[in-house]
Parts: sequence; C-alpha cells; structure tokens
Amino acid sequence: MKSISRRSLTLYLLIFLFLAGSFLSYYRLAVNADKWAMNKANSHLYTDGAFTAGDITDRNGTVLAATENGERKYNNDITVRKATLQTVGDGAGYIASGIQTAFKDELTGYTLRDGIFNLKRYGKGNNIELTLDADICKAAYRAMGNYDGVVGVMNYKTGEIICIVSTPSYDPLNKPSEEKEGMYLNKFFKGLYTPGSTFKILTLASAIENIPDLEDMTFECKGKGGKGQVQIGEGYVYCSGVHGKIDIEKAFNQSCNCAFAELADTLGKEKLTATAEKAGFNTQMNKINGKIACSKSTLKLDNSSALDIGWAGIGQYTTLVSPCHMLTLISSIANGGTATSPYVVNSIITPGGKNLYVAETQTLGEYFSSATAEKLQEYMRSNVKKKYGDYRFSGLQMCGKTGTAEISDSEDAKPNALFAGFSSNPDYPFAIIVVVENSSYSISTAVPVATKVMTAVKNAYGK
Amino acid sequence: MDKVKQKGKNVNLAIMLAVVTLFQLICAVTLISKGESENRMRVIITFGGYLLAEYAYFIGARLILGRRGFEVELIAFLLTGIGLSITASVYPHLAIKQLIATLIGIAGFVALQIILRDIDLCMRLRYPAAFLSVGLLAFTLIFAGFTNGAKNWLYIGGLSIQPSELVKVAFIFVGAATLERLQSNKSLTKFILFALGCIGTLFLMYDFGTALIFFFTFLVISFMRSGDVRTLILICAAAVLGGILILLFKPYVASRFASFGHAWENFDTTGYQQTRVMIYSASGGLFGVGLGNGKLRNIFAATEDLIFGVVCEEFGWIMAAAILLSYIALLVYSIKHSRYARSSFYAICACAAAALMLFQAALNVFGVNDVLPMTGVTLPFVSRGGSSIMSCWMLLAFIKAVDRGTYRYGGVRQ
Repeated sequence: MKSISRRSLTLYLLIFLFLAGSFLSYYRLAVNADKWAMNKANSHLYTDGAFTAGDITDRNGTVLAATENGERKYNNDITVRKATLQTVGDGAGYIASGIQTAFKDELTGYTLRDGIFNLKRYGKGNNIELTLDADICKAAYRAMGNYDGVVGVMNYKTGEIICIVSTPSYDPLNKPSEEKEGMYLNKFFKGLYTPGSTFKILTLASAIENIPDLEDMTFECKGKGGKGQVQIGEGYVYCSGVHGKIDIEKAFNQSCNCAFAELADTLGKEKLTATAEKAGFNTQMNKINGKIACSKSTLKLDNSSALDIGWAGIGQYTTLVSPCHMLTLISSIANGGTATSPYVVNSIITPGGKNLYVAETQTLGEYFSSATAEKLQEYMRSNVKKKYGDYRFSGLQMCGKTGTAEISDSEDAKPNALFAGFSSNPDYPFAIIVVVENSSYSISTAVPVATKVMTAVKNAYGK
Repeated sequence: MDKVKQKGKNVNLAIMLAVVTLFQLICAVTLISKGESENRMRVIITFGGYLLAEYAYFIGARLILGRRGFEVELIAFLLTGIGLSITASVYPHLAIKQLIATLIGIAGFVALQIILRDIDLCMRLRYPAAFLSVGLLAFTLIFAGFTNGAKNWLYIGGLSIQPSELVKVAFIFVGAATLERLQSNKSLTKFILFALGCIGTLFLMYDFGTALIFFFTFLVISFMRSGDVRTLILICAAAVLGGILILLFKPYVASRFASFGHAWENFDTTGYQQTRVMIYSASGGLFGVGLGNGKLRNIFAATEDLIFGVVCEEFGWIMAAAILLSYIALLVYSIKHSRYARSSFYAICACAAAALMLFQAALNVFGVNDVLPMTGVTLPFVSRGGSSIMSCWMLLAFIKAVDRGTYRYGGVRQ
C-alpha cells in the first residue's frame, strides 16, 4: 500500500506538465489575442468580407467610414473617398497604415479583457474622429489632377494634420481590378523622396549657424549654354541657370546649386550632418498617435567625397526625406524652431459617448534654434515674395521653398517636383508639403497644387 | 471538534451547490430568453431534468447514505452543466438526448460505486469485463464503417455509440483488479496481452487519440502496480519504435499530424480548426461574449473536439481555466486519498481514472491550441457525446471509491 501511494506521487509530474501546457496555451493566447482576434476569418468582425467597426469621421463630423446594417459604408462623395482612402484605409487591410487597419482594436472595441464583447453589446465598436478635413483633402486630390504624389497639410502650432492625400488612389466601394503601383501606400507616411532643392533649407540653416559672415558672402555661378557649374573636389556640380555673382538671399531665391554646393563644401559633412540630425534626420520619428510609423529621413555622408557632399547640399546624392518628417520640419521653422508632433487621430469615442482617448499637442523638441528659425522664415518669405509670387497665396504671407529632384540619370526621365512651405499669417498656422512625381519644374506643378490647397485652407479657416 | 468540522462541510456543500445551481440557472435563463420558442420547452426539460437529477443525487447521498464529501461530484456536475448548456444552445434538438445519456452516466456512476464496494465481486467480474471489452472492440472493428476517418462508431437502431469510450472504464477496472490479486509476472503478462488487444484494435480502427489514451493509462496502471521503471521504459521504447514503423509504412497517418505547430501556415486546410479555435478564443476575452453569442459554434465539431474554444469564446478565459483546474483537482484528490485507500485496487483505479481524464483533457485542449498535434478526442464531461459523458461519469466512480468516506456510512462498514 505504502509503495503504491508513493508511486502515485509521480503523477504530480503529470500535473506539472499539464500546468506547463496550460500556461503555454494561455501565454500564447494573451500575447497573440489581439492579432488572432483581428484575423480576417473572424466572422464577428467581418461579415461577407466587410469590416464591422465604429465610424471614422473627419474633424467636422463628416463620415468617412461607417458600418450600417452590417455593411461598411464610406463617404457619399467619390472624390472624398479617393482623397481619404489611404488615411482611412480599406476594410480588407491592404493599406497597412490606414486607420481601419492600424486602429482595428479601437474601432472594434476589442480589449484583451473583454474580447469583442463591446462589439456584441453595441453592435459596433468605438468611433474615431480624425484631424483631417474632408473638404481640404478633396481640394488637394483635385489639385493633384492625374499626377501621382503626396499632399500634406498640418497645423504647425498644434500638430493636427488636416490634409493627407496620396495618389494614385482608388474608390474603396469600387476597387479596380487592375492594381496601380503605390495605390495601397500612404506615401505621406511611408514614402521616401529625394528632396532636391527643398533640402537647401537645411544647408542654409547649417550655414546660418556656422558661418558668421554668411550675409556678406558672394557666390559665383558661371557657365556656358545656360547652365552654371562649380568645381567641388574632383568634379562639378551643375546649376539650372547661370546666376552670376549673387548673395545668399538671391542664391536661395534662385535656388542656385553652385552657391549651395559651395556652402555644403565649406560646412563639411560633420556640420551639415549635425544640423540635419538635430532636425530629425537619421532618427525614427515617434509613431503618429503611437500607432502609425513614418519612414525615416536620411542623410548619410560618412564615406562621401567632397563632390558627394556638394550634391547632398542641394538635396541630391543619397539624401531621402519622408513627406511626414519634411512637413514636421517645415512646421518647426514656422513654429520658431520647436517641432510639434503631428497627429491624425483626434479622439476615440465609445458608442456610449465616452472619450477613450483625446490627442494632445506634443513637442518633439527643438529642430532649430529660434534665431535660426527666424532667419529661415525670412529667407523663405523672400522666396515667395521675390520668386514664386505673393499673388499665388494672397493673404497668407506664405513662406516656402521649391525643389526639383532628379531621380534618374536618364535623359527623358521626368523629375519630381516638391514644395514645402507655410503661412506666416497667425490666422492660418498651416504648413504644407507637396510632392508631384514625374512632373517637371516645381514652379509649374508643385506650386500650383500648393496654391489651390492653401487657398482652400484659407477659405475654410478664414476669419 | 468533529461536529464543528462536519457542520463546516455541510455549509460548504450548500454554498458550492448554490453557486453551481445559480450558474446553471443563468445558463438556462439565457438560453430560454434567446432561443426560438420551439426550443424553449427543450431547454426547460433539459435543465429541469438535470437539476432534478443533481438534487436527487445530493439529497439521496447526504440524507440516505449520510455522505459528507461531495467535491468530486460538484466538479463533475459543473463541467457537465457547461457541456449541456453549449449542446442545448448549439443543437437544441439534441439536448434531451444528451441529458438522457448524462442521466444514464450518473446512474452508472452510482451503480459502479455499489459494485466497487465489494472487492470479491470485482475480482470475479474482471475476466468477463476483459473478454467483453476486447469482444466489443473487435466487433466494432469488423462491423463499423468509417466516420470522420476512424472506424469507432457503432450504429444500433437510431443510436450511435462509441464502444471505446465504455471500454475505458473496463480497461481500468480489469487492469487494477488483475494486479490486485496476483502480483506476479503471470498476471502482468495477462494485463499486457489485454492492453495489447485493446490498443491494437484501436489502432486498426485508426482511432489514434483513444489508442494513445489507453496506452498512457496502461503505463500508469503498470507503474502504480510494479514501480518497475525499467520495464516501462522498454515498453515505451517499443511503442515509439512501433509508432515510427507505422508512420513509415502508412505515411497518410503522418499527414494527419503534419500541420502540428504550423496551424497558421495551413490556415484553410489542416490548420483550419485550430486557427479558428485560436481566433475565437481570443475574441472571448476574460469573461466571454456570452452563451449563444459565439461564432466558433459554426465550425465543424465545435461541440465535441473544439468545445474548449467555445468555452473560451462564450464563457471566457477564466471559466476555461477553471475547467483545466478541475481535472487537476480530480487527480490531486485521487493521489491524496490513495494513501488512505482501503486497498491498492482503489488507489490504482482512482489514480488511473483521474490521470486518464487529465491526459485526455491535455490531448484535447493542447491539440486545438496547436501545442500538441490534434487527435480529435473529447474534453471529459464537457464535450457533447453520449458515450463520452457516460464513460466520464463511470470513471468518476473510481475516484469516488478511493475515498474511505464513501463506504463508511449507511453501507457495509469495513
């Protein structure tokens, strides 16, 4: 008898193994529950492929996506649907950074504790109010015409992003059978572009901080056949025009490559990199609303020759910027040097009307000293006044910088046109980034888009 | 002192019974309020009958037999109630059938306790039980057709039974009884032959899950009896070798287990059931979405093989954990009472029965969660199935019999 009861103790080993298996099962469940519950095969959330979730509205309450009678509906206006597609996201999860994918848990009311019970209780999940303005997005989508690219507008005081448009887009209610490259991508967050001359803002910032007699300097841009050139190191950097002898303001107005390549050469890689890194280059920006990652802007000059640095100083070479970061950077200049964290989700509200989350304005730190920011404001204002034309942005006291980025060595390749700017009128504290892919000179494509969008902003937020 | 202690136990029983009853009433009310009118009567009959049987048992055992401890039965009634609720919710037309099987199981539980009281009777019954078991399995092997890939179902009239479930009871009974009388090599050889007969037929039926359960139970009984680890290791080695040979010569057997650990990569094929269990378990959260609100119930075998997922989804992870702990509690109870058992027969019976249930629960729960290969066995007491529920309640008699208190009052005093 005794031996049998002693042997029975061995069965505790079985209990131990059973407990271990149970812990493993529960551990895997707890760790993966979120991912598993959000699976497309979960018929609590997907009825006939349609996503059952809370409403997504813009800042004015315009419904961008909603579930009605078990069907996922989008805005009535096809242009609004296309304009907001990549931000709102699709129901099927093709657009990874879309709110419908990134905020699935919130939209379905899913929590680890209650599972999808809230969805059962209310018939729908939490509602999300975005900072976007559907009308501005629509205006921006129209302004882009048939071009592919990005438009982003944010309030540089608060960080609210009021407009994101990424093209090509499509109508989520009538998805085309043929896929276009980039249509599932929100290029505002995920895109990376060669900045071209918009990078001269950073070269200028570095020069303001490191070269005391910058304003007394003169640059020489000479050449033949309408193209200026300057020797840097072993080779030449070319200019779009022949600007002759110019000072820094004129060089910035004319976007003279010779002058800025020379500045970059004078500054050297350490100073240029230091300025760029302070302004957020080479670092991953905080996720937008803690959920949506933004691609990283990069300036890598470690093993670069003097000529490479010269090209980098005018936004070519291997330099890349993310539109979201570039807009944050422009906003920081407008905001006196301090960068404000951009955000796209304003609040998350339960079906019962309780606020689960309300976004707050957060600072990302100082991108530029206030003195530098003030100088940059002046030079960028001068660009609009003296070069692009104030008439394009009447009443906005616009500041800005264009860029035309060569993305291929091929002769018939079309460049990307960029515009980055902001209104210095305190009534319209908005900054804008425009990228028009495969277009032509920025003044004829990116600037008109910026004009249309900023005019829409002015009309909507005018006092 | 003794009186105080006794009083305490009575209060505990009353409280626990009240909690279990309340839970079952909530389930019943939920089903009645949600169900279609034609199903209401079925739910009322099912739960009415079940609660009646529950109270009849407790009142009879307490007042007539003067028993005190009811932990084991409370656990069984709780688990059976959960299973019955889910059956009544998913298949209302099968609820009364499941209730009848449960009642037969409870009757078997009581009857087996009466038989187990008399060890001499048990010894006389062991040969008939052994031959009946092997005969029944052999009969099934010859006459059964394939159901879901295994030949383990017999159809008699309108009833379908799974003989291997009932043979589980006989297997433990025969194993423990044989070893009790003659602790000799001869009796061990006989048991090995008997076990080989049972497990072999199960293999031929392609019921690998049940075969594994029998093999495991065989190991537990043999070890409890002989304590001979070396022999057991040899047997295990032989079994593993045999298993490998089977997999080599019958590769389609291996394909059944091929998706183990890769359920998500075989999302719509061999991992279909497991991934759905995980998706819907995750949807349940700690407290579940509520009885009747789940979606896993629409997946094939939801109330049998996948029932743990249904519990996670509709009753929540906490209730599911309580079910897991129940099997542990039964085994701990058996181990603890083995020390004071009147005879090694009871100790071996109880430990083998409780270990069998724990092992079967492990195969079921870990199978659907992709921690172990899925073998398609039922979750004791909870899964729907008449043979299964009868078998579980009868196995419970072994656990009940090990407690000296069971036969102390109102019956033959030892």
